Amino acid sequence: MSTTQRSAPPPSNVAHRAGVLLRRREARIAYAFILPYVSLFLLFRIVPAAGSIALSFADYSLAGRFSWVGLDHYERLGSDPLVGEALVVTAVYTVIAVPLIVVSSLGMALLIRRPTRGVKFFRSVFFLPVMTSLVFAGVIWRWIYADNGAINSLLDGIGLSSVSWLSSGTLVLPVLASVATWARFGFDMLIFLAALLSVPAELEEAARVDGARWWQVFRYVVLPHLRPALFFVLVIETVHSFQVFDVIYVMTAGGPVRSSTTLVFLLYQRGFEFFEFGYAAAIGVVLFVITIAVAIVQGRFFGRSRT
Amino acid sequence: MTTVTATARTTQTRPTAARLPRYARYTALTVAALATGFPFYAMLVIALKPPTAVIELPGSLWPWPLTTETIRTALAGGEIARWTLNSVIYSAGSTVVIVALASLAGYAFAKKRFAGRDTIFWSIVSMMMIPYHLTLVPLFILVAQAGGINTYWGLIVPTLANVHALFLMRQFIMGIPDEIIDAARVDGAGELRIYWSLVLPLVRPIVATVGLFMFLWHWNDFLWPLVVGQSEDMRTLTVGVAGLRQQETLLPMEMAGVALAFLPIMAVYVVAQRHFLQAAMMSGMKG
Repeated sequence: MSTTQRSAPPPSNVAHRAGVLLRRREARIAYAFILPYVSLFLLFRIVPAAGSIALSFADYSLAGRFSWVGLDHYERLGSDPLVGEALVVTAVYTVIAVPLIVVSSLGMALLIRRPTRGVKFFRSVFFLPVMTSLVFAGVIWRWIYADNGAINSLLDGIGLSSVSWLSSGTLVLPVLASVATWARFGFDMLIFLAALLSVPAELEEAARVDGARWWQVFRYVVLPHLRPALFFVLVIETVHSFQVFDVIYVMTAGGPVRSSTTLVFLLYQRGFEFFEFGYAAAIGVVLFVITIAVAIVQGRFFGRSRT
Repeated sequence: MTTVTATARTTQTRPTAARLPRYARYTALTVAALATGFPFYAMLVIALKPPTAVIELPGSLWPWPLTTETIRTALAGGEIARWTLNSVIYSAGSTVVIVALASLAGYAFAKKRFAGRDTIFWSIVSMMMIPYHLTLVPLFILVAQAGGINTYWGLIVPTLANVHALFLMRQFIMGIPDEIIDAARVDGAGELRIYWSLVLPLVRPIVATVGLFMFLWHWNDFLWPLVVGQSEDMRTLTVGVAGLRQQETLLPMEMAGVALAFLPIMAVYVVAQRHFLQAAMMSGMKG
């Protein structure tokens, strides 16, 4: 039947109506196919996202009591020293962690990009931490940095005095950043490796033949091709750093005192230890706004200049 | 003449100025590999010490003598076995449904014509920008009100509409030629039949990759299971292992817990490394 319809010359009235019916049937089927996904998506992504904004203007208790409080939570945010501290901690952590991750992943990508023996092995080893839960990693690293842990016993062994890595307010963020670097660089390295494929070998060779030093080749030939990858890595690592949680929960629980209480950790504490749902939602909104703002600034900065 | 001088110059400058010498590259790579691998090595060796062993460096890192006593003790406690079961249910259950829903919807978005198709699809994809933490508190309230705290469905259901999975499925299914699907329809295959026995088999590689990635993500997930699975026997491995600290656990026991939690992933990685790299790359590129 359908074959004859297809080969029949077009707009006879009957064929046209059949086409409309077929298309309606197709649409109905399509809606049925997307319905389960879309309804779950609405219920568990869109409703909570909108709910978060509504909740930030309200008080809510697990018993079900709900009341609007207007801007109260935002006023409290403005004057809460905990929020100020958390913002500083988050910013400092990001400023330490992101460059560390970008430099080490780019460096490793440059080192293993040439096809030499053992490349596969190195790549697998570097990728291993990427798949490891930061909870499991955190437990191991907590021991490595512990007062009587791996690093300190090595320091002892060579006659140096030990360092209290995790109980020092100044060292705790660099220590956490080092763990994040360990966990993330293998992933970013793969992105850089993919981007490095786009660098024309002849161009690099030509630069070398003309006597360019390695850093000149890197700066003027390789780097311009890495721009999109660099931008991508910078943005995702910044977002990641804003949202670091697992490793802090396991290694420091936000301490010592509040030296590693980031905004997300504060959100967790307010929401799920003190059950101040409305206030936690307001912190979430602030986090969202900051994340978007930073992404836009990075986009401007990297999107425009040069190339 | 010119060529001769050019090659002469290259051979002269390349090893010293233009490239890092081979031994320096290998040294740097080896140091980095040792630093990256050390935590895994230390975890395994310590997990294979007796439960009450005192760990001293560097002596304790000597992989001799080893015993599975600690690991057996950890397993016999029952807790870890229970957490592993919870992790398996959370990861496998979510993965199967995510792949099913995303491939079904992805097929419709890729191959069907209907009003608002592209608007709906791209709106969903753009919602990836919403950070997880923004939705955390209302999501918790929603699930709590529905009685989902400390239940498997409370853990699983909110994670089922996965944007990454949908995006990858749709992109892949778009690559299937329309003619094949039309031909099946002409032959009288029903719509579900086309989806199940034509589309799904054709995109099997992406189903494997997406499935692996989803499994890994759920296995490693922490924050959601932490707030939803509060009771002792509803903890997943990540939540359980993170909580070991509070009980002043001995180090070998702690590492045994980590080892047991990590080894399944490690085993799959060894077998399906290609898929892992691919999954991570695609998820990251799209996220």
